This record gives sequence, structure tokens and C-alpha cells, in this order.
Amino acid sequence: MASDRIVERRRVFQQYKADVKERGKPFYPYAMFHDTIMSLVVVAVIIGLAIVWKYSTPGSHTGTEAGWLGKLLDAPADPGTINFVPRPDWYFYFLFYLLRIFKWPETVILGTIGIPTICLVLLLAIPFIDLRAERRLSRRPVAIIASILVVLSMGVLTYKGATAKEALGSELVAKIPSWAASEGFTGNQKAIAGAKLFAVSGCLNCHTYNGVGGAFPGAPNLTAEGAKNKGIAFQIDHLKCPACKTPGSPMPSFQGLGQQNLTALANFLEASKGSKK
Amino acid sequence: MQPHDQHPHVPGPSLWPVGFAVGVVVLLIGLIVSWYVAGLGAVIALAFAFLWVRDLTTGTALVDAPDVEAEHAAAAASLLPADGGEPATPPAERYPRSKFLEASTLGLGAVIGGLVTVPALGFMVAPAFLKQGQKDHDIGPLTDYPEGTFVIATWMSDKSQGEVSRRTAFVRYNGLLGSQPSYTIISNHCAHLGCPVQPNGPLDDKNTKQLADVTLIPTVSIAGFGCPCHGGQYDTEGNRTAGPPVRALDRYSFSIRNGRLFIGKPFSVSHVEGTGSAAKIHKWTLAFPGEHVNGLESWLYPIQPPH
Amino acid sequence: MAATKLTRSQQIQQTILYPIDWLEERSGIVGGIKYFLFRKVPGDTNWFQTLGAATLTAFIVQALTGTILAMYYKPDPNGAYSSIQHITNDLFAGWLVRGMHRWGASVFIILMFMHMGRVFLFGAYKYPRELNWIIGVLLLTMGLGEGFTGYLLPWDQTSYWATVVGININGTAPFLGPFLAQFLQGGTYINADTLSRFYAIHMLLIPGAIFALIGLHLYLVVRLGVTSPPWSKEAAGKGPITNGKVTTGRRGLSRFGTRGRR
Repeated sequence: MASDRIVERRRVFQQYKADVKERGKPFYPYAMFHDTIMSLVVVAVIIGLAIVWKYSTPGSHTGTEAGWLGKLLDAPADPGTINFVPRPDWYFYFLFYLLRIFKWPETVILGTIGIPTICLVLLLAIPFIDLRAERRLSRRPVAIIASILVVLSMGVLTYKGATAKEALGSELVAKIPSWAASEGFTGNQKAIAGAKLFAVSGCLNCHTYNGVGGAFPGAPNLTAEGAKNKGIAFQIDHLKCPACKTPGSPMPSFQGLGQQNLTALANFLEASKGSKK
Repeated sequence: MQPHDQHPHVPGPSLWPVGFAVGVVVLLIGLIVSWYVAGLGAVIALAFAFLWVRDLTTGTALVDAPDVEAEHAAAAASLLPADGGEPATPPAERYPRSKFLEASTLGLGAVIGGLVTVPALGFMVAPAFLKQGQKDHDIGPLTDYPEGTFVIATWMSDKSQGEVSRRTAFVRYNGLLGSQPSYTIISNHCAHLGCPVQPNGPLDDKNTKQLADVTLIPTVSIAGFGCPCHGGQYDTEGNRTAGPPVRALDRYSFSIRNGRLFIGKPFSVSHVEGTGSAAKIHKWTLAFPGEHVNGLESWLYPIQPPH
Repeated sequence: MAATKLTRSQQIQQTILYPIDWLEERSGIVGGIKYFLFRKVPGDTNWFQTLGAATLTAFIVQALTGTILAMYYKPDPNGAYSSIQHITNDLFAGWLVRGMHRWGASVFIILMFMHMGRVFLFGAYKYPRELNWIIGVLLLTMGLGEGFTGYLLPWDQTSYWATVVGININGTAPFLGPFLAQFLQGGTYINADTLSRFYAIHMLLIPGAIFALIGLHLYLVVRLGVTSPPWSKEAAGKGPITNGKVTTGRRGLSRFGTRGRR
């Protein structure tokens, strides 16, 4: 059986060689022309990206502000930082987000080593798994399904990784007036004090508010938290012990902030009736 | 060669040019060093030039015996059956496989490879594992650490390396334990994959102190620590409360000298029971982030490199 | 040869060809290039099959811009950031070369994935091209390794912390992980040696391996040939065309006769 297959595929390859010899075209210039056009496109795209990268940077095109394609250069490396939010380059976003999905200590190794290793081994093994000579896609359902699944999952993970927009505490504090304006608590001093606490207490490392924040799986968007009208007392109790009020909540206790701060935070949350923009 | 050469006018072999060249070199050196040496060089060069020219004109002085033909003759003879009737060895087997030569060629190659790569690889690998460890570092007077709240201390652990050696720890004075002061010193490296954890609470950064290479930022009130990368959350003792971290936050040992707090070596912590000065710390040797120090999965990391 | 009278154009031609002939006589390289250029490929190759050449172009852009950047870049924690600033803001066209290297990396990686996807969908990894698929996967991992090691070099916050996480991801590998992490860092923590180590890996070790693997990859492409698109009506391997139709060459193996005949 197997030897039949070996004989057959050898014969098909000999046939292929003969066919190419008989009716193939010379690589140069027929195929190489297309290659050259494609290479020209590649080089043009690279140069174009470099130009857009620089000239979309605001100001004199030299600063550390982000243009359309991100920053030319971030702040210098600071191994002692306490307010930086690391991101990988875009082609590792899938892994970045995968590591967020594996949020249980026992599964860390699956996200870091397990899944990437399995993917690599599968990639290497493809020619030895798929031994059939069939190349037409309409007759390779497994290959079609596998490739769609891979493209979809990589796409979704990369998209989720790319759209998780954390911001630094100092940048968040600067956003408070615009939050107040869009949520309608501009005059509410208690809520503004709570918003400051909200910005510096790491809430947005997981939650999302008015379009910024970690957008973690399982951490609700708090933009319209106040619209649920749960009451200030509930919010304070929830901040003290989230799992007591919402069974199974992974959120840690914020009791350490103190009663006064918790009251301010609760006021802010209740005042957040949703963005009116 | 000469008799059968296609070009009959080729000069005969001569070694005198060597002497001539030596003479020219001595002459040139003499031009720099002294006229006597130059004169000597000129004499040598002239003498050998004369001999060389004489060779060129009179023909051969050093005739090699033309052994080429003799070799052919020998080869031809070996093709014929010898007197004893032994069959002639065909030319293809003139170089029979020599196990000795093969083995020694490969062996010598391996020796060369070893001589070059072993020290180079050792040089590449060993420095990463030798002479590791941190020296104790002064992070300021005890009075800068108020009881019960965290101070964020940032220091340069090795000034010769510069900013790259900057470290950060959250330091809290827990009051006296018996007669000894107690400090909680928590590293800012997330136990998941080493991202910089952030304090969950407002800082008192208007009262930041700068002492030499040490920066101290007091805090107002902190509910815990959170990691912005993958969502790890910790309480004020560094215990994991949510997210993927595999253990509690690492801690530093400390010592007190002349009323100043010195930060010591880091160590890993699986979990902490109790709080403040009454805390019972389950201490392990320093492990990289993401590595379990206890439980089943710690068997995946049986040996830690010397830190 | 020179005895016959030559026209002026023939003389010019001979003068031009002389160095080429000289080279060919001594190395045979001209014949090799001719073989490479004029080798036959299937007549029905497709635009998707230019992705490999595009990837190669992107890599060459990386090699060139990288070499130029290395002339100004200083792999030292105290000088790296300012040398990048210098390249980006002060030097003539420095921003362009750096931008091309930075975005060329992304384009290179996208193209590697697209090329791999093409090979997968065309089934071009099948017999006898399995080995070339494996070399391609190795090239992909090498490319990602270049992305990882190169990301540290600007020595800004993003690059530093992404590298911390990347190294610690390696550190979680069972048994040898901690040693791998410590080797990559050149110590327990990222230190002054880490940057030059990454620089050497990024500049010399991995590019050398990539060059060698690309050589093998191309050698196998030339040796084994280019596949036809699988949907092609006159795909090479189906037999000669008579009267405008492909007559299948499957003679004597009736078991397979039902497949592929159309």
C-alpha cells in the first residue's frame, strides 16, 4: 500500500519534471518579472511606512509623541519604573493576549511555552501528517478548516491585543476633565476626587472607562456603571470585598484605600452614567 | 625540466637572487642607519648580482635530476606482474583507504574544533552564571520610612553599570517586633512574567526625596499592587489575589547600620500568612518570574542557576 | 581566432564578453547563473508565488539597512538610547534608514507568514518538498528571533519591558528555562552585558543562520522546481497536453486512474 503510494508520487514527480521541461517557461524573465514587480511594491511599502512613521509624528517630527504608526522612540528604559505599561511589537500581540487569557497560575506555562511549542511542532510536522498527494483545496477540508481557524484565532488575538489601550496614571489624571464633561459630573467635587483616585489606583489596568483601559476578559467596562443605580453603599461594600457582593469576582479588595477614599470612588462610579458623546 | 621545456630560452635555476635581495635590504637599511651599512649592502648586492648574471649567461648551476621519468618507470614496472607472480595492483588502489589517516584527520579536526569552541562557548556562557549576586545597598535613614505606609524606594544597585541596574521596592516599616524593627520590602517585579507592578492607590509624590542615587516616593494609602501587563493582582503583603502570577511578589532581605536601612539579597516567596511584623513568610531561593516555587509545578524547575 | 577579420561591433562584443569568459573559465559561475535564470518553471505560475521573492527582498532590505545602522548605533546601555536619537533626529536620512529597518521588520514577518500560508494552501509542502517546508519554518522562527532581539536595541521603555517579559517567557520552559533566561540576560537581571549580547545575536548569529538557510531554501527550490497552482487545468505533473487537453500520464496504475483525470 504505502509502497504503491511511494511509487506513484515518484512517478508524478517525474511527470512534473517532464511537463515543466516540455511546456514550462524560463524563470527569467517571465516569472522573475512578476517577482521584480512584487519586490518593488515591497520596497515602496517599506519606504512609505518609514516616511509616514516620521512625518505623522506631531510637532517637529522628532518627539516621543505617537504618530499614526506609533512613537519614533519611547522614553529611555527605566528598570525601576512603577507606572509603565509594557507592550510587545504587534506580531507578538497574539501571545500577549494569550497570556492574559491564561489567568490561572497553574496554566501560565501553557500560554508561555505550551501553546507556542505545540504550534511550532505542528508546523514542522505538517508535511508528515498530510501525506496525501492531493493539492486542490476543494479536496482538503481539514486543511481549509485548520487554516481558517488559525487565521481567525490569530486575527482575534492580535486585534484584542492591539485594542487593549492602557494609559499611564499621570496621563489618566489629565483625562479627568474630559471624562467629567462626557459623563456629566463636572460640578460634582466628590466624583472628581473619586475620578483622581480611580486614575491612580490601577483600576484601568483591568477595567475600561471611556475608551481607555486594559479591557481584560472578565473586567466589566465601567463607563456606565452608575446607570445601574446600585447605590453608593453597595459600591463601597463591593470595593471592600468584591467577591462578597459578586460571587466569583476575581477583583481584589480595595479596603486598604481607607473609608474616605472608598466613598469618593463610590461617588465617582455612581456619577458615571455613561458617555454622552 | 629544462631539456624538454617548450621554451628553450628560460634561464637556469639560480639561488643567487636571494643574496642579491638581502644585499638590497641591507643597503636600504643602511640609508637610514649608517653609510657603512649601506656600503656593505651595496657590496653584497653587487657581488650576488655578478654571480646571478654569470649564472644566467653560462647556464645551469643547480640542475635537478629529472626524476619524473624514473617515477614513470617505477609505476610501469609495478603494473607488470612481479617475479613472485603476485597480481599487479591496479592504479585505482594506489591510495587504498587508510583507516589511520581517516581517523587521525577527523580526530585532529575535532581537536581543533574543541580547542576553538570550548573556551569560546565557555566565555559566552559562564559569565552569566558566575559572580552573580547583589551587594547590600544603602536606601536612606530609617526616619524616611514612616510606620504603616509604603515608601517606593528606587536605587541603583551597581553604579558602574548605571541606570540599567536601577531597582525598585515597596518598603513598609511595621514597627518593632520585640526589640527589633520590622520591615516589609517587596520587589516590583511581577511574579508572572516580570512586568513592573504598580501600587493600587494614590502616591504622595510631592514629598519625594532624592538621596544620592536613591529616590523615595511616599504613598498615601495602598490597597495592593497590580500588574498592567496580564492582570496579576497582589495584596499589601505581596500575596497573589487574582490573575496569573504563580506565587507572591519577591522580597528583599534588609539590615540596619548606623540608623540607615540597607537593602540585601532578593528571595522568592510562595505566600505570606498574617500581616505586617506578625507575617509568616514562606521563603524560597530566588526564582525567575513565572516559575512555581512550591506545589506540583515546581518540579519543572528542579535546579535554579546561581543568582 | 584573431586571425579572421572582425567587424567593429564584433570587436566591441568580444571586449565586453572577455571578462565574463575569463570568469566562466575559472569558476563556472556564469553557467550556474544561467542555469538559475533560464531554468524552466511551470507556465501557469501565479502572482501568489512571488511572495517568496518579496520576502527575500524584505530580508535584503533588512540586511542593508541594518549594516548601515550598525555604523552609528552604540550597543551600550548608557549610549544606545542617545545613539538612536542621534540616528533619528540628527544624521542625514537616519530617520529613513531606521524607519526602513523598523518597518521592514514588520513587512518581513508579514511576508513570511503570507508566503507560508501560500505554500500551505497550494499544498506545496508535499513530496518531495517536505525538507524545504521545515527549512522555511526554521526561517520563520529565526525571523521572529530577529524581531525579539532587535526590539531591545532602541533601549526605550517599550523595548526594555517587552524584553523582560520575553526573557521570562523563555525562563518558564521546564528544567532548562531558568538557565536559558540567565544566559540570555547574561546574569540574574538585565544588565550592561544584555544589550551587547542581544546585539551580537541580532547582528551576527541569527542573520548568519538566516543567510545559510535561505541559501539551502533556494537551492532546494531550484533543485525540486516550482509547483503549479493546484487548481490549474494544465498543472505540471498531469501529463502532456494533446489537442489542448491534458492527457493524464497515469498508465498501468489503474487504482489511481479515477483520480485526477478530467
